Order: sequence, then C-alpha cells, then structure tokens
Amino acid sequence: MKRKRYAIVFDTKKCLNCKACTVACKFENYVPVGDDSYRLWVTEMPLEGRFPVLRQEFRPSQCQHCENAPCEKVCPTGATFRTAEGVVLIDYDKCILCKACMAACPYDARFVSKKHDAVEKCTFCMHRVSEGREPACVETCPVRVREFGDLNDPDSTVSRLLNQRAYYQLKPEKNTRPRLFYLK
Amino acid sequence: MTNQNNSLSHIFRVNKDIPAMPFIACGAALLLVGLIGVIRVLVYGQEAVYGVTRQVPWGLLIATYAYFVITSTGLAFIGGLGHAFNVQPFARIGKRIVLLAFIILLAGFTQIGMEIGHPFRLMYLFILSPNFSAPIVWMGIFYGIELFLLSIELYLIFVKSPKNHALSAATAFLTLMVGVAATSNLGFVFGSLTARPFYHGIYFPTFLVVSGIAGGCAILLLIHNIIYRFNIPDELSRTMSGLSKLMGLCIGAMLFLSAWKIISSLYTAPAEAYEAATALLSGPLAINFWCGEIIFALLLPLAMLLMSRGKNFMIMGAAGLFFMIGMFFTRYDFIVAGQLHPMRAGNAGSHVDVLNGLVHYAPSSGEWMIFALGLGLFFFFYFLAERFIALEPE
Ligand code: SF4
Ligand code: SF4
Ligand code: SF4
Repeated sequence: MKRKRYAIVFDTKKCLNCKACTVACKFENYVPVGDDSYRLWVTEMPLEGRFPVLRQEFRPSQCQHCENAPCEKVCPTGATFRTAEGVVLIDYDKCILCKACMAACPYDARFVSKKHDAVEKCTFCMHRVSEGREPACVETCPVRVREFGDLNDPDSTVSRLLNQRAYYQLKPEKNTRPRLFYLK
Repeated sequence: MTNQNNSLSHIFRVNKDIPAMPFIACGAALLLVGLIGVIRVLVYGQEAVYGVTRQVPWGLLIATYAYFVITSTGLAFIGGLGHAFNVQPFARIGKRIVLLAFIILLAGFTQIGMEIGHPFRLMYLFILSPNFSAPIVWMGIFYGIELFLLSIELYLIFVKSPKNHALSAATAFLTLMVGVAATSNLGFVFGSLTARPFYHGIYFPTFLVVSGIAGGCAILLLIHNIIYRFNIPDELSRTMSGLSKLMGLCIGAMLFLSAWKIISSLYTAPAEAYEAATALLSGPLAINFWCGEIIFALLLPLAMLLMSRGKNFMIMGAAGLFFMIGMFFTRYDFIVAGQLHPMRAGNAGSHVDVLNGLVHYAPSSGEWMIFALGLGLFFFFYFLAERFIALEPE
C-alpha cells in the first residue's frame, strides 16, 4: 500500500467567515487565549468588483505542512519534524524556544504556546486522523470549505478536486511546496 | 611554595593607578538591574516580560547577543594577528585582548541564555539530538569551541610558565579561525530564514566579521584611554596607530558593504527586502539608522580616526566610544528591519496589526534589563580584573 500524503484543499468561494473552524481548533486543541495564540486564521480579502456588484473572498489558512519546510531545516534540536505522511509536527519536549522556526516560516503559522511551553502550530489534528476522524476545522465547517485527504489515493476527494479544478498555493516563490491547495 | 607565591604575584597585584572603581561600581549597579530582570522573567515568564511577538520573534536580546559575541570574536581576530601572525604591536597587548574577548563572550552568553526559552534543555539536546542542518547548532559548536580556546589562551598567557610560544601561536590562530567561522555562521543563522529575504546573501556574514574586527579595535582604543587616564604612553603608539588603521579600514569596508546592500535592496524593489531597506531609510528605524549607524558607527569615527592622524590617542578613544555605540545600532536595526515585513497583509481577520505596511516591535523594559545584565557583567568583571590582575603590555 502506498504511503499516505495528507493535504487540505480549500474552496474559499464557499467560506462564510463564520469562524467556526477557528473555534473548533481552539477547543479541539486547547489552544490558549491570547492575541498571538492561534493555529488558524480567516483573512478577509479586499473587496472586488464595482458597486453595486461587489465580491469578497474570505481565505482561511494555517500551517501549510510544507514539503520543503523552512521551519524544520533551522530547528536546532529536531523538535520540528515531518512524519512519513508529510505532516510537520513539533515534539514539545525537544523545543528549546529559540524561535528560529517562527522567524523562518513564510506563513506566520507558529507561536509560542503557554500550554506546551514550546512553539505550537497546526498539527492537521493528527490525534483525530489516527482514529480515522477528520481534522476539527474540516469537520466543523458548515459549508465544507476544507477537504482533507490523501494525495496518493486517486479516488480521494482532495485528489479528485485537484484533478478537476484549477488551484493555486500561497507564496509558491518560496519553494516550500505547501500541502495546502486553494481552488480557483 | 615560594615559587607558587612568585607566580601568583606575577598574575595578581593591586593596580592603584587604574581608575577601575567607578566602572566596577557601575557594573555592579547594572548587574543588579539585570538580576531584577532575570527574576522578573523567572516569576512572570518571557511572554509577559519581553516585547517580542509572533511576527517579530527575534528582538533586542538577539541583537545584544550578536553585539557582544561578535565584538569578542573581533578581539580574538586581533589577538590572532598578534600571536599567530606575529604583528608585534597587537601581540604586546595580548593579555588585555584575550581577557576582554573572554569576558565579552560570557556577556554575550547571558543574552542568549535569557533569550532562549529553555537554555538548560539546549545544553543536553545539542549533544543528544542535534540537527546539523540547522545553523544554530553550528553557532553553538563554534562559540563553544571559541570559549574553550579562549580559556586555553588565558591559561597559556597567565599561568603557564615557561611560555610555549608555538602552542600560544597555534591556539591564537585557531581562535582567529573559529571566531571568523562563528561570526560568519551567525550571519547565516539569519540568512537561512526562508521568510526573510533581507537577510539573504553574503552581506550579513561579511559585515559581521568586518564590523566585529572594527569593534575589537574600538574597544581596545577606548579601554586603553581609560586605563591610562587619556594619557597613553608613547611605547604603545605603534599599537594604538595600528588599531586605528585597522579600524579605519574596517569602517571603510562597512561603508562599502552597507551602501551596496541598501542599493541592491532598493533597485527594482525586490519583494520584502525593499520594505526592510525603506524601514531603515525613512521608516520606523530611520533615526536609528541615520544617527546610530551612519553617524555614530561610520562617519563620525572615520572622520575622527582621520583627524587623529594616528597620533592623537584621545581622539582615537573617542572614535572607539562612538563606534561601540553605533555598532549596537547596526546589530539592532538590521535584525529588526528584516522582520518588519508581515507574512500576510494586515486585513481584518489576519491577526496582523500593521502600520504603513509594517509590523511593530519595540524592546520592553525587561529586555533592556537583560541587556544591562550583559553590560554589567562586562564592566564589573573586566574592571575588577584590571584592578587586580597584571595586564600591562609585554
Ligand atoms: S507553514 Fe510554516 S510552520 Fe508550517 S511547515 Fe511551512 S514553514 Fe513550517
Ligand atoms: S523554537 Fe523549538 S521548534 Fe522552533 S526551531 Fe527552536 S527548538 Fe525548534
Ligand atoms: S487541522 Fe486541526 S490543528 Fe490544524 S487548523 Fe485544523 S483544527 Fe487546528
């Protein structure tokens, strides 16, 4: 059986900016309160079009689980690592809080966690995925903006969406090869 | 026993002529402020005491760490020129150079020790689980070796008798080489950050090495003026003029490097580097840049060194003082400027607060107190050594 390659595909046109995903992530992962303390965010993109025909996109995002992860390279203790499925995780006990990974991440996906006394970020909810459940932000979304799945499985929803629709990724010029895909 | 007493009196003596007491007192006061800062961090935690943020994770303490350790490796470079390459004017003041380099390196370690959230974890994880592709690991290795080599140099200079010149020269050479490796690698600690294009390239590693050597010269010119109460004896004239020439050369190289860095960061407005350069030239760091860097670190000391014509030691000492102030800004400005460009636009919901397209950072009182700890350690222990250890030129 082929090794899994996890990814999330976003259809941002559906996003209502209800922020259910941000709440779900906070509760699921016990993310502490605080201005800098969040694993995902929903950016309100600038208005498009001309009055009265206006459009606005809401773009949720989080750690991109980069295949060429700048945070992993600069982590001096190996606290930041990639799993066989390509999920970038942090071993909190190994983190010395040097914050090099925070300075290296082009997506501002990391923060210092009061709970773990280490750097923290999105984990693709691996504790749920290992039980066969979806990540909390994927499951909670009322309009299914996110789809989570295995890129190596041609029948998975993520593979089908990427085959059928045009997509883009954030900051491709950084050559990080993100595992987050945005449908056009 | 008598022999031992002789060798001890050879090392220790009370130097009444040296005006060390005000500096020792000042160092003790700064140490006290620093210790209060340490207690605040231990009680309230770094998050509450430091001003660094998610967007600007490296702030004042990284800058002061660089300020101290690179001055130390610059001193080691000058010491290496003296002992390994037999540049006599520098070899004569070898004792001061090695002691200064050692104490300033320790001052730098206080900064990184307080900046890193888990310094004790660092010590064993760098041995048990190092990631050799991370420049920070090499930083630890190089600066660890540098401290070890400086300790050996201290032993060879102060304790070992009879002197083994070949061993001294070899150690001084290694200290010089490891110092250059450590400093340039420190530049790459920044250069390796994918997110921060302003740090990329050869500029910062080179600039740090060159400015570190200038810093070594500057502090030696300043310290000698203090020690001799602005009346440096003529027997040290070749040393002082040698230091001023080396310092002038390095400042010239810094001007050259900075000019091209700024020009290349403005021309065609390369993404993110452009914002960093304009933050320096006309943005939130402009006063620091023009007054601190351009005037204090570059133009003023260069003009003063030219004015001194290699003869007026007092002007050289003043140039050293201005440079030491200015060099602080070169570290702080570059490190902060490279992080001011936000990683996403500051739209609603993005959690990023921007002003004129840039995020904000200002050091907190807690961070300044930790800087005081490093400065205090330097002043207190160095001038204590001046007071009680025989450091006169050979
Ligand atoms: S988005 Fe940032 S934290 Fe996530 S893998 Fe990429 S570099 Fe690392
Ligand atoms: S802060 Fe922690 S996870 Fe990040 S680079 Fe340092 S040790 Fe690694
Ligand atoms: S995958 Fe899990 S950890 Fe990541 S943003 Fe979604 S809920 Fe949070």
